[in-house]
Amino acid sequence: MNNKEFDNILNECLERLLVKDESLEQCLQRYPEQAAELKPLLETALAAREASAIQPRPDFKARARYQFRSALQERAARKSRTSWGWFPRWATVMAIVLVLVLGGGGTVAAADSSMPDSPLYSVKLATEQTRLTLTFSQMGKARLCARLADRRVAEIAYLANKGDARRVELITQRLDEKLKLLVVLIEGRGGVSIPGMLVAPSAGEAPPETTPPAEDTTLVPEASPPVVITEPGKDWGGSDDAAQNGNRVQLRNTLVSDAARNRAVLHAVLDEVPESTRDALRRALAVSEDGYEEVLEALE
Amino acid sequence: MQDEESLVRRAQKQDQEAFAQIYEEYFDRIYRYITLKIGDAVEAEDLTQQVFLNTLRSISSFKWRGKPFSAWLYRIAHNQVVDYFRKKKRTAVPLEETLVSAGDNPQQAAERKLDIEQVLAAARHLTGAQREVISLRFTSELSIAQVAEVMGKSQGAVKALQHSGIVALRRALSVTENE
Repeated sequence: MNNKEFDNILNECLERLLVKDESLEQCLQRYPEQAAELKPLLETALAAREASAIQPRPDFKARARYQFRSALQERAARKSRTSWGWFPRWATVMAIVLVLVLGGGGTVAAADSSMPDSPLYSVKLATEQTRLTLTFSQMGKARLCARLADRRVAEIAYLANKGDARRVELITQRLDEKLKLLVVLIEGRGGVSIPGMLVAPSAGEAPPETTPPAEDTTLVPEASPPVVITEPGKDWGGSDDAAQNGNRVQLRNTLVSDAARNRAVLHAVLDEVPESTRDALRRALAVSEDGYEEVLEALE
Repeated sequence: MQDEESLVRRAQKQDQEAFAQIYEEYFDRIYRYITLKIGDAVEAEDLTQQVFLNTLRSISSFKWRGKPFSAWLYRIAHNQVVDYFRKKKRTAVPLEETLVSAGDNPQQAAERKLDIEQVLAAARHLTGAQREVISLRFTSELSIAQVAEVMGKSQGAVKALQHSGIVALRRALSVTENE
């Protein structure tokens, strides 16, 4: 028998042994003349198959799956024009470096308190987006989102006091976006990237006429980051149902308080702002009230 | 898994769910393949993840030309391993942490871990091509035809490598057991 014939017999036995689950004895009985030579080889093959019991560590697998899903979603978001693309590149890079490397510091603090007419405002938005992207739990994202909605209301009040109706309109859209994002997070619509409200136009689509020039950093539209949503009720930051429910109740209390305070703030400003800004501010009030109502309904 | 061709075509059209299915289907197998090739379960984690990120980036370039998708995927994994050795300029390191299938009791798990470590140690005595065949056949459970596609060799050549690989593995295992 030549080598090629023996290779074929060995392979036939391996198929029977490993795929068809025949026993070693059954395989050897089929080829009694080669049994002595086959036996040690088949035993070795069985030992080699033990290596198929290697499994990746569960925590690594979960992390890898999350990263992969995120990459998938980022890719999809990029396809319809990246959400980061709306920020000036310098602001995105700066925000990521500040958040990841420095963990905050003076510039972030200064940007955090900046208003939409400040040059640092785009850093503030990019920093917020970075934080949202780097926050992994649903509860964490929801809490952050609630704080960001709160910030938008403060910015609206600031701009309204300055009589800047155009920017009030823009920030109102961002407020709407954040509140809708909160609803999506709370409802946990599975495995999807949350669409931005002020989304970038999809590929091939002309930018809307209202899109401001990218250089005007104070008017750069904000887009929702790709956010991984787990199943409803999952990843709410608790080890058991009671803890998760507790977190939801806590979030609800915060939002009830936010809704009341923000309504009061906007109402108070409404009496003082110039007439030219009042319509924009009324729309902001309506968006705020409707938005918080939807969020609280989602939490029921 | 549903018809692989339609799944891959959907993934090429940015269908996230299709891509996720491919990922789940192949992740463990690619991980085992890489682990056996480099002999390091922890390093294999990063490489495995990189394989799928590379696949995500380049899936649009995959063309159906009669070759299975798995052959293309394993080719990416193979290239990743080649890059790993080239960059690190190192040989395989001892397996620090081999994990075995859940469900084993502690004693069985310990015995199996020992077996796996012996196999991985022995595999280092094989030639690159022999290790490739043994890894694809016995840890990734590919058929001879699939292995031939991945390696770009004839089925006869793969069978010959399989034979010589098992012989070399047996010899190495005997040495390990006697040490």
